[in-house]
Amino acid sequence: MESIIQIEKLTKRFPVGTGEFTALKDINLAFGKGEFTGFVGPSGSGKTTLLNIIGSLDTPTEGEVTVLGHSIAHLTHRQSAKLRNQHLGFIFQTYNLFPVYTVYENVEFALLLQQMPAAERRKAVLDALEWVGLTDKAHSRPAQLSGGEGQRVAIARAMVKRPAIMLADEPTANLDSKNSHHILQTMAQLNKELKTTFLFATHDEKVMAYLRRIISLEDGRVVKDEAMTPQRQPGV
Amino acid sequence: MIRFLFKGIIRDKNRSLLPVLVISIGVFLTVLGSCWFKGIFSDMIDVNANFSTGHVKIMSRAYADNAGQMPNDLALSEAGQLVEELQTAYPGLEWVQRIHFGGLLDVPDEAGETRGQGMATGWGIDFFSPGTQEPQRMNIPGSIVKGALPARPGEALISHEFAERFGIGIGDTVTLFGSTMYGGMAFANFTVAGAVRFGMRALDRGAIIIDITDAQAALDMADAAGEILGFFRDGRYDGARALQLKTDFNARYESETDEFAPLMLRLNDQNGLEDYLALSESISGIMIFIFVLAMSIVLWNTGLLGGLRRYNEFGIRLAMGEEKKHIYRTLIIESVLIGAIGSVVGTALGLAAALPLQEYGLSFGSAVQGGGIMMPEVFRTRVGPEAFYIGFIPGLVSMVLGNALSGIGIYRRRTAVLFKELSV
Repeated sequence: MESIIQIEKLTKRFPVGTGEFTALKDINLAFGKGEFTGFVGPSGSGKTTLLNIIGSLDTPTEGEVTVLGHSIAHLTHRQSAKLRNQHLGFIFQTYNLFPVYTVYENVEFALLLQQMPAAERRKAVLDALEWVGLTDKAHSRPAQLSGGEGQRVAIARAMVKRPAIMLADEPTANLDSKNSHHILQTMAQLNKELKTTFLFATHDEKVMAYLRRIISLEDGRVVKDEAMTPQRQPGV
Repeated sequence: MIRFLFKGIIRDKNRSLLPVLVISIGVFLTVLGSCWFKGIFSDMIDVNANFSTGHVKIMSRAYADNAGQMPNDLALSEAGQLVEELQTAYPGLEWVQRIHFGGLLDVPDEAGETRGQGMATGWGIDFFSPGTQEPQRMNIPGSIVKGALPARPGEALISHEFAERFGIGIGDTVTLFGSTMYGGMAFANFTVAGAVRFGMRALDRGAIIIDITDAQAALDMADAAGEILGFFRDGRYDGARALQLKTDFNARYESETDEFAPLMLRLNDQNGLEDYLALSESISGIMIFIFVLAMSIVLWNTGLLGGLRRYNEFGIRLAMGEEKKHIYRTLIIESVLIGAIGSVVGTALGLAAALPLQEYGLSFGSAVQGGGIMMPEVFRTRVGPEAFYIGFIPGLVSMVLGNALSGIGIYRRRTAVLFKELSV
């Protein structure tokens, strides 16, 4: 399978006081199109740092990270913003919806940034809302939604621009079991239908049950990288 | 995108209500204050023009040098002919002769003996020519406290304060003692037709106003006038036009040697009015500067608070791939929209307050008494075309400046910590 993300000898260090803290050490990984993969490990193991670098929100201290042919270390601020805008989607632990805008407008915003024509934009937004089953909530405000619905809007907002890669940091942390499964079902379905690569940072067992590859991190190193047979499948 | 931002402004009261309120108040004060000061300065200038300086004034060169002393021995002779020439050469102005004089007013008792005397400033103006505007120009009909305008030669108006002090009634006789144009002693009796109060200390202490022909007769100034005043027919002083006129006239009547040759001065050149005019011109700029400064500081702080409140929003937008520059630009666009809304509201309120005040004014009668400067009692606003747009300058500039300063924080935002920040 062709790799869309390649990580070679990645090391990330942060200055701490007068010294340094090594968050990632000598990471070598590759991810293909359509993966449904999770980084698991305890707090401080480097999961989020790895997502940050793949998401072009941060840069490696050493090594090379290439995302869709772009070397993250060599991107300008503008180029990394463009990469995120066009090819990457983010899902956060909290939904971070814009409270004054409707569900429709929250999803539409990503496309406004791409200056997509209005008619095309409308179709894409309605499609995205249909994927996540929130067509009837299009004109609701975030405050009128449940936690699960809020996270589904966040997924629609990330997915509406059809990114090649979705990065999700503990997407179910604030959800109850039922809503977590609903969200994960939605993401697994999108992964299956659109071949979007999903990378998760999680230590939630419910998420792990859906993953086809689990990479375990400990103290900034990959300690295990194993292919899985998902216990849960989309629609099951 | 602008429609999207506009929706956010309308719906998010925290984002728009306070700034719109601040801007509306500031713009309201700017518009009202600007119209107010323009009105006061304009009225002051009008009062000075109507009573003293004209829009342009012609005197003999020697008279002009000593104008404060009212030196009628240096008055313009053959004034009637000069006025005719002026009317032909400069028909855009109304030309009037005046004699300004000082003297002693003697109040006799029934036996003809002096009952009281007081110093008086006198004006000889045109009361009786057909179509004369002089009484209206000096607002004499509106200033009469008792009695009426002189109806025939030999009648005079005196200041109400003077009349009260000496118990002078309508129909009483007063005697003017002064000096003739040739340095002799002049005295003439006048019947008091009315008493006036202008509300200006400089005029109300002791004044006598008589027809110019009476003044010429009393002061032996046949066909002479101390001053010839010119007024633009639209009633508005135009400094540039006056300068052109002055240059042309003075070139035409230039004489290095003849101290009686006529000399034209503009309103600006007299009574220190140049400074008032300059202040009048710059008052809008001063108001704008003050309000831009004050409102920018308030809106800067409002912007900082808004930035804190929208911290997550900006974070998610950065994560979604919006450039910092673009976020900053949208903040500026938002500030323009909010500034425009506040400016429209503030301008409407300012005009709503200024327009009635232009018509009716506010009376500061007691407050302006006692000064030596010629000031009107009723202060009015003056609503000019600039009142409709002047508020937009502080409204837009302060909002944009406030947001531009507070929005700089966006450039300091580190994307590397977005996952952490947005997961709280």
